[in-house]
Amino acid sequence: MGERSSKTFQFCAVIIATAALLALPRTSSAQNAPSANTNPRVTLQPGSDAARQRGAQAAPEKPSAPAPPRDLSGMWTGPGEALLSNRIPPMTPAGKAKLDANIPDPFSASSNDPWKTCDPFGMPRSVNNQSGQLGFAQMPGRIIIMSGFSRTWREVWMDGRKPPKNIGHEDGPSGMYNGYSVGHWEGDNTLVVETVGMDEKTWMDRRGYPHSVDAKVTERYTRTDYDHLSMTETVDDPAYYTQPSFILAKLDYSFVRNQEDKNAPIPFTNETLCIPSQATEYLNMMSAPADIDSATGQKKK
Amino acid sequence: MKAKLTPVVLVLAIVAFAGLAFAHHGSASYSMQPTTFKNVTVTKVNWGNPHTLLMFDVKDDKGNLQHWVSEANAASAISASGWTKTAIKPGDTLSVVLYAAKNGQTVGRVGKVVLSDGREFGDGSLIGDRPSECDQDFTTGGNESAACRPGGRITNNLEKK
Repeated sequence: MGERSSKTFQFCAVIIATAALLALPRTSSAQNAPSANTNPRVTLQPGSDAARQRGAQAAPEKPSAPAPPRDLSGMWTGPGEALLSNRIPPMTPAGKAKLDANIPDPFSASSNDPWKTCDPFGMPRSVNNQSGQLGFAQMPGRIIIMSGFSRTWREVWMDGRKPPKNIGHEDGPSGMYNGYSVGHWEGDNTLVVETVGMDEKTWMDRRGYPHSVDAKVTERYTRTDYDHLSMTETVDDPAYYTQPSFILAKLDYSFVRNQEDKNAPIPFTNETLCIPSQATEYLNMMSAPADIDSATGQKKK
Repeated sequence: MKAKLTPVVLVLAIVAFAGLAFAHHGSASYSMQPTTFKNVTVTKVNWGNPHTLLMFDVKDDKGNLQHWVSEANAASAISASGWTKTAIKPGDTLSVVLYAAKNGQTVGRVGKVVLSDGREFGDGSLIGDRPSECDQDFTTGGNESAACRPGGRITNNLEKK
């Protein structure tokens, strides 16, 4: 068996093992769902991404080929949402005030989630919300990180330059939705991206955790082998959080192998866009009459 | 071997999009008991994001015409079950299994659509009804994760605080 055939076989084995695992009966957390179903495809749908990720990690996979050094180029796929840490440290009074002002659940009338009106996620949210489609394009001096959701991209400078100082303050440049990102390699397989100068308007995640303009966010992308990439997102923001550095989110990706096979179907043919006119129509026709705020006792009197 | 690759790639795509799309929803405003409407007349389909809307007319027990707005999943997710932009058109007659709003409004969440030719889109379950996992180190990034933050809010029928 040639090298390419061997890789293809390994890829098939990984996918079949993962699919078989996912087709198992629902995990305990989902067994209270109203209707039991025997169709293996649809049993996936109400299940938990967390259980799915844990299950996928436990699959008896054959080892993948080694990761190419300092190369993440291509498209990657993972669960649609990152796993979010439940161990966010206690907040400062300033941070807590901002958290209290951020009301999640974009499909409720009371929410002020910027997502509701399709505002850009920016950083650090784009890394952990609707982040199942990820791409890297390596160019001279920089790496472009692409998100499939709303087809956005940001640049990470790899040429050793430093970000500007005092961003968002009187003596510095303005903050930006995606901030200013610089990166470096740790060893041959880990890309470290550090981002500062993020506009305070962006939420850190869909739960509404805030960040100050002085926050620093670090993404670590470790390509453990040819087919697998693990991301962790950590935050340093002493103005809002009492612990200097903490994990916000993590997400495991798989390389989209069919991008190397011209006969395979094109991946990601479905657009996942947030379209303001459609979002407004949805809110008016569906969310408003269904009125989740009343159903959950959160209606403002 | 390449030809055999195609189905497994599709499985991967379905898995990826299922995770992506179902993370949107909160379900607390909808009944957990499904209602079946037979032989409804489709009046409009808004194919798109964040979720596809299926509008239909049906007569109630007293013969009065009701106008319903029902919500299916995002286009990217329901297309995995074969539902395309042109598969359901205004004027079509079909059956809908839906979870109606608890407040009595004629809106609901689609569990399943059954076409006159027997094709079915959706698995019949209430989309988005899954519990939060606040007692673990990490929680899913779905809508229910909002229940885990300080002062968090309930968005699902199955959530626990």
